[in-house]
Amino acid sequence: MQLITDKQQGEIPEQKINIKAALTIATTALFAGIAQADTLEEDNWEFDTAFLLYSEVDRVSAGEVILNAKKTYADEEVLNLKLTIDALTGASANGAVAQPYVQTFTRPSGNGQYDIAAGDTPLDDTFHDTRVQLNAQWTQPISSDYTGSAGIHISKEYDYLSIGINGNLAVDFLQKNTTFSIGASYFQDTFTPEGGIPKPFASMLIGDSSAPDWHEDFAKTRIGTEDDKTTTDVLLGFTQVINRRMIMQFNYSYSMVDGYLTDPFKILSIVNNEGLAQDYVYENRPEQRIKQSAYLQSMYHFDTTVLDLSYRYMWDDWDIESHTIDSRLRIPLGTGSYIQPHVRYYQQSAANFYAPYLMQSDFESHRPEFASADYRIGEMTAYTLGLKYGMKVNNGHDLSFRLEYYHQAPTDAGFEAPGVLANEELYPTIDAIIAQVTYSF
Amino acid sequence: MNKQAKGNEIKRKLTLTAREDSYCLSFNAMASPCEVLIETESEILAEQLGRAVAHEVWRIEDKYSRYSSVSACSKINRSQGKPVVIDQETFLLLNFAEQCYKLSGGVFDITSGVLRNAWRFDGSDNVPTNKQVKSCLAHIGWEKVSYDQYQITLAKGMELDFGGIGKEYAVDKAIIIAKSLTKLPVLVNLGGDLSATSPRKNNQAWQVGIDHPGLVKKHSNDKLNSSADNSSVKKVIVSLSQGALATSGDANRFLLKDGKRYSHILNAQTGWPIENAPYSMTVVAPQCIQAGILATLALMKGGDAEKFLMEQDVKHWAIR
Repeated sequence: MQLITDKQQGEIPEQKINIKAALTIATTALFAGIAQADTLEEDNWEFDTAFLLYSEVDRVSAGEVILNAKKTYADEEVLNLKLTIDALTGASANGAVAQPYVQTFTRPSGNGQYDIAAGDTPLDDTFHDTRVQLNAQWTQPISSDYTGSAGIHISKEYDYLSIGINGNLAVDFLQKNTTFSIGASYFQDTFTPEGGIPKPFASMLIGDSSAPDWHEDFAKTRIGTEDDKTTTDVLLGFTQVINRRMIMQFNYSYSMVDGYLTDPFKILSIVNNEGLAQDYVYENRPEQRIKQSAYLQSMYHFDTTVLDLSYRYMWDDWDIESHTIDSRLRIPLGTGSYIQPHVRYYQQSAANFYAPYLMQSDFESHRPEFASADYRIGEMTAYTLGLKYGMKVNNGHDLSFRLEYYHQAPTDAGFEAPGVLANEELYPTIDAIIAQVTYSF
Repeated sequence: MNKQAKGNEIKRKLTLTAREDSYCLSFNAMASPCEVLIETESEILAEQLGRAVAHEVWRIEDKYSRYSSVSACSKINRSQGKPVVIDQETFLLLNFAEQCYKLSGGVFDITSGVLRNAWRFDGSDNVPTNKQVKSCLAHIGWEKVSYDQYQITLAKGMELDFGGIGKEYAVDKAIIIAKSLTKLPVLVNLGGDLSATSPRKNNQAWQVGIDHPGLVKKHSNDKLNSSADNSSVKKVIVSLSQGALATSGDANRFLLKDGKRYSHILNAQTGWPIENAPYSMTVVAPQCIQAGILATLALMKGGDAEKFLMEQDVKHWAIR
């Protein structure tokens, strides 16, 4: 019994850590409905690691490793460091249309050519790249209701460099039931594609790439070795706790991109009235894009499950409009494990300069200012079906597995398919599998 | 004690009494007499507010009482090692209990209720053996509880007891409801754990009599302290402008063997009573749940109870 007393007395000096203050924090958390991580365990790093595999049928495959490290300091300051490395390999559509005969294309570098079989969608199979991306973010309370955040971003690929900064300020109102936030970011990207920047609408040079004057002729289709673009984003956010079960978020973002927005690897087929390709020309896009989006998310906590439902409407001055509906339902299974089905639906209209191909007569009589056959800015619908399974492993660490199926179906935005094109697949679908393992410790 | 839960339906009555410039609504909850004081002339408002407060207190009692077989607490305690789904409120309370566990170095632990299987503080000399205490300790330990936002899993034989925080939590929730209904001064008193929304009219402090169980016997001849009212020895009268006040400890609950007094304040780490603890400790804090935990943590410091609270600069009254 004496030992107990000794232990009690022995604890008093070390407990001079302000218990009253710690209890105030715990009490505030209790009545504000905020789960409190820890008052005592500060200065600890938390890590999230993830490995992701993305594989399109017959097209691009990508592997990605994410390492996220987060450290929370005593005054609720948070440092977040994130390293992402991904490797991309496979084939990507070059923009030309399928033909009833074999087609030959020159590689973007100008070194060599590749053939595409009759009836196949032309894919350039030389895609392989490794990207290393680093994000650092510092978040701290400025006063009791204000939280500030600032971060830097750097991303490097073989032919691409992106550097960005961002800042954000969040203000809490009404006992933290309402939060307004305003944020801005600025990115500077430099693109140095292999083979240089192609001249807009120049014909793709096709022939004997080992001929002595090949490189000279190829250089005539180029206008430089690098180009750049800047992106300025402004984000306004509003979060409202509706009641103990429901939280809503509304975001509006305005994004202005200036500079080189063309894809140097994409071309368009110039077809005659029979639908036969007469030429391939490099695409050209406007040098500015203003994109806006409105996003509404609500999370509803049922007795056991949690439903996360969101809708995004995006529109830009290229006349692209898109709607995204995303829903996740988290179903607990016991002892910390859960399953989470995921359904996402996406629909987009085409950019006003999108064309799956150009008619030769039109192209020669009044050449368009801009044109691109990139399916990513064409009309399409897509959906994702997925399932995530999460579990607690030793020491309460989180381990989760995610498997998703993605289906993308470009649709005809009303273009005629002359001659042979009527028999070709102009809008091939893409199917992809996404698999991810995440471990947090 | 099960009669208590079953009798709730019948016992749940509100009594409204008009006073000079206020109304008092009394009801029974959590095995204690409870009252809500509202400084208003409006009987309708008083009735409405009293009813809202009483229903909230009863709701919390029904949900977290371990005596009621249908409570969320009992559902968890009967789980036999299986996960039990919890809601956000329970999650937040568990989170709070975890903070208290950590701040106390494990001495305060809401899983320590099973110690009552060894200890019955009925004034007898029935001190348990070391073995009996040890067998209880096997089923105690917050670190053995795993929980998240959605569920909790207790090891077999473990139990939760919200008794150490439930009543104080109910006081604070009642105050939130009172504030949402009126700006007039309101005091909520649940069996001596109490809180006021604001000072009374004309900035006067509330004068509250607190029952100190066992005090009458032990201290009827002692001069307590300046705030004690000796004309009515059953109660200690304290004045409170705003904020909350909670009392831990019960001088009636003890064992006496070979001249040694065993208090009912048990150390969850050892399973044995804290030595030299005051009979009771009353603490003032902005919120009742804080006051309650500070009072309990102080008692667990034994002979250093008062020193602990002085160091933390906490206003308190100790009865020794």
